[in-house]
Amino acid sequence: MEEEEAGTMVHTNFYCHLGNWGILKKLEQWFIPISMSPWKLGEKAALQALKANPYVDMIVVDGISLLCTDLQVDPQDIVMLVVSWHMKAATMCEFSRQEFIGGLQSLGIDTIEKFREKLSYMRSELRDDQRFREIYNFSFGWAKEKGQKSLALETAIGMWQLLFAEWHWPLVDHWCQFLQLKHNKAISRDTWSQLLEFAKTIDLQLSNYDEEGAWPYLIDEFVEYLTENGIVQRPQN
Amino acid sequence: MSAQKRRTFKIEAFKHRVEIDPKYAERTWKVLEHAIHEIYNHNASGLSFEELYRNAYNMVLHKYGEKLYSGLVTTMTGHLKEIAKSIEDAQGSLFLEELDRKWGEHNKALQMIRDIMMYMDRTFVPSSGRTPVHDLGLNLWRDNIIHSSKIQSRLLDTLLDLIHRERKGEVINRGLMRNITKMLMDLGPVYQEDFEKPFLEVSASFYSGESQQLIECCDCGEYLRKAEKRLSEETERVSHYLDSGSEVKITSVVEGEMIANHMQRLVHMENSGLVNMLVDDKYEDLARMYSLFRRVTDGLLMIRDVMTLHLRETGRQLVSDPEKLKDPVDFVQHLLDEKDKYDLIISKSFNNDKTFQNALNSSFEYFINLNNRSPEFISLYVDDKLRKGLKGVSEEDVEVVLDKVMMLFRYLQEKDVFEKYYKQHLAKRLLSGKTVSDDAERSMIVKLKTECGYQFTSKLEGMFTDMKTSVDTLQGFYASQHAEIGDGPTLAVQVLTTGSWPTQPSAPCNLPTEIIGICEKFRTYYLGTHTGRRLTWQTNMGTADIKATFGKAQKHELNVSTYQMCILMLFNSVDRLSYKEIEQATEIPASDLKRCLQSLACVKGKNVLRKEPMSKDIAEDDAFYFNDKFTSKFIKVKIGTVAAQKESEPEKQETRQRVEEDRKPQIEAAIVRIMKSRRVLDHNTIVTEVTSQLQSRFLPNPVVIKKRIESLIEREFLERDKADRKLYRYLA
Repeated sequence: MEEEEAGTMVHTNFYCHLGNWGILKKLEQWFIPISMSPWKLGEKAALQALKANPYVDMIVVDGISLLCTDLQVDPQDIVMLVVSWHMKAATMCEFSRQEFIGGLQSLGIDTIEKFREKLSYMRSELRDDQRFREIYNFSFGWAKEKGQKSLALETAIGMWQLLFAEWHWPLVDHWCQFLQLKHNKAISRDTWSQLLEFAKTIDLQLSNYDEEGAWPYLIDEFVEYLTENGIVQRPQN
Repeated sequence: MSAQKRRTFKIEAFKHRVEIDPKYAERTWKVLEHAIHEIYNHNASGLSFEELYRNAYNMVLHKYGEKLYSGLVTTMTGHLKEIAKSIEDAQGSLFLEELDRKWGEHNKALQMIRDIMMYMDRTFVPSSGRTPVHDLGLNLWRDNIIHSSKIQSRLLDTLLDLIHRERKGEVINRGLMRNITKMLMDLGPVYQEDFEKPFLEVSASFYSGESQQLIECCDCGEYLRKAEKRLSEETERVSHYLDSGSEVKITSVVEGEMIANHMQRLVHMENSGLVNMLVDDKYEDLARMYSLFRRVTDGLLMIRDVMTLHLRETGRQLVSDPEKLKDPVDFVQHLLDEKDKYDLIISKSFNNDKTFQNALNSSFEYFINLNNRSPEFISLYVDDKLRKGLKGVSEEDVEVVLDKVMMLFRYLQEKDVFEKYYKQHLAKRLLSGKTVSDDAERSMIVKLKTECGYQFTSKLEGMFTDMKTSVDTLQGFYASQHAEIGDGPTLAVQVLTTGSWPTQPSAPCNLPTEIIGICEKFRTYYLGTHTGRRLTWQTNMGTADIKATFGKAQKHELNVSTYQMCILMLFNSVDRLSYKEIEQATEIPASDLKRCLQSLACVKGKNVLRKEPMSKDIAEDDAFYFNDKFTSKFIKVKIGTVAAQKESEPEKQETRQRVEEDRKPQIEAAIVRIMKSRRVLDHNTIVTEVTSQLQSRFLPNPVVIKKRIESLIEREFLERDKADRKLYRYLA
């Protein structure tokens, strides 16, 4: 994950709101201001910085690495996606204060240990059909650039490979290959969500694929690609 | 007989039965029996009707009806048996005559007998459920004569033989035949059973044989003529000596044997079948085939199908033959000629049958659209006509030609492609002033408007308006200039409204100093009267007339394009220029510059410039000289850079791409329109609706429609239904 954003500091009042949370100390570390990283944190300096930028409150790259270390989890681990989903994070590689705190609250997390325990629960959520679908569809908005309507192909492919490692779809590699060969453009939301439907409902011989089935044209072309290249032998009727 | 007692006349009711003794009855019967004999022996004249009637009456009255009736039966039967013998004994042709004669006699006898037995007929017969006398007589005739073993088959054979001989060309006694068949008809079902059925069977095998024979030795036209003849013969035969009910049966036999059984072979007969008839315009033969095949099931269907196949095949060849496609005008003329040909065939030979018209239309529609250059070519045809083809043609004839073109236009599936080309060609015609008749141009626009609606023609009409306005503007300009122009160049300007014209705007090149003055004057004048507008000189269009003096003081007037003028004027100050120098000075785009230079230096008879080296192609290090030695027998020399009228391959691709781009918003608009009114719709219905909405302009590609739907989903005009992914929902 490579992104860069302005960092901020934790506001003193924040401490009061959180009350007894043992994470407090950790929060302080995670919300690291990039612009001030070489300096030592002092409350006064923190206050000043906040006055300057009252609305920019994010955990970004460095903060997330720290978070993952504390959780004893690889930042590339898909469970972080599930975490983001719980937090309703708008964009990958960053959490706003609202998102993060709100997410912790909804998950009932107030210690690092609890957070770590919740991780295995979150992994299990990927097994659930409905949850997986929600997480899958969520990840489109999460993974794309802010302000863009579509998802860059490279990112999409990465996400698909990540997601379909959890819920195995044998054709995922062919799909990615096909896109790189024939499409080479961004992926629309409709195509993204319909792909999951396709993967879930259409069998590997494509015998129940219906040309009149209102599939996105990219999927129609994919089916053509599979049959023309002999990757799949469709039963003739 | 009985003594008549005299008594006072009194009417009394029967008080008691009066029995007559059997002997009396027997005596009475004997009288009647004798009478019958006499009648059959042609001795009826000596009989008293009254007496006989009375006798019969009395018998019935005295309850001897049974005796009377059965006696009658016996007596008549006896006579009939004798008659049968005499008929059987008749030789050869006398057989039928004898039968006929005896029949006549029998009828006469029967009539008399019936009259005599009338009282019995009216009282005893109905009450005892017996057959009335007349019918009895017929039945007895039937049983004893017609169905007599020696007569029955002989009669049939004789009749059939006579008919056969007549079919073979002999003359037979039709009157006699008529009488006999009439006799059979009078005998109830005898005609059908004993005659008609075998007659039809025999006829079937006769015609089966004849048709086999004919089909081997006749060509299609001949065969049909013979079949037609046979049919009319049979009809005539029926009218002369058969029951009218037999007509439809026998004609159906002939139709079946001669036509239906050989339809395939006839239609596909080599060198003389349907296709040959069509190709050679054999109107009579075709008309005959039509009227004969009409009579049998699927006969017309076969003709129509073969015709359609042939049309489609020849059409397909026509539109794929590169030879025929070389000249678009020729090509379209071929299409029109083909249409005319078949229209004539359908009207002359196929009775203007609508189903055939439809087959013709669908075939034309099929093959015209096989070639995706058809819209362009049809526009080129009209272009040719409006440039020169319709010169001197009367108004009505002009209408006829344009109407025929419209007919072809209707077959086009890609009418929007036609529109694009028509615009281009019209623009060229208007700007070069090369239209043969303004009225014809207008008439064509009106026809297009009627066919396709206002939107189709609004821009075209805009072009006409611009032309007219330009004339007025120019007049105003010269009026305002008074005497200031003097010796300078004369300018003729057409002001085109961007958007109405299909021409691509281009960056202007450098104009020669000699004309910059007047150009600026015009610009000032125009913008003076039309504030807020922007004018750009389109130097890639336009022409110039230049007076040039060559060596030996030869003067010529050169008609050149604007670009060429810019190039030539450079040579007023120098004699030699390199390609690069020309390019720099004029700033004409390279590809256009090369073409201009080629037409100025490399074309025989038009080489006002000399090129070194003398090669045909223009290279960047070529040098050009004013060609002092130029000669031409014409004073006025036209040097065109007329691009081929037919588009080059890259131009064609470009046009097609533009057409495809133009279609996208039209498809989207249609989708939005449909979804707005229907709110929720499944994918296939959308495709069908969109296609039907747009079909008057072009046939939308379902894949393109799908892509447009997805684009609309992305832009949040539509969404997929949450429950059923095949449904789309309109988002307000």
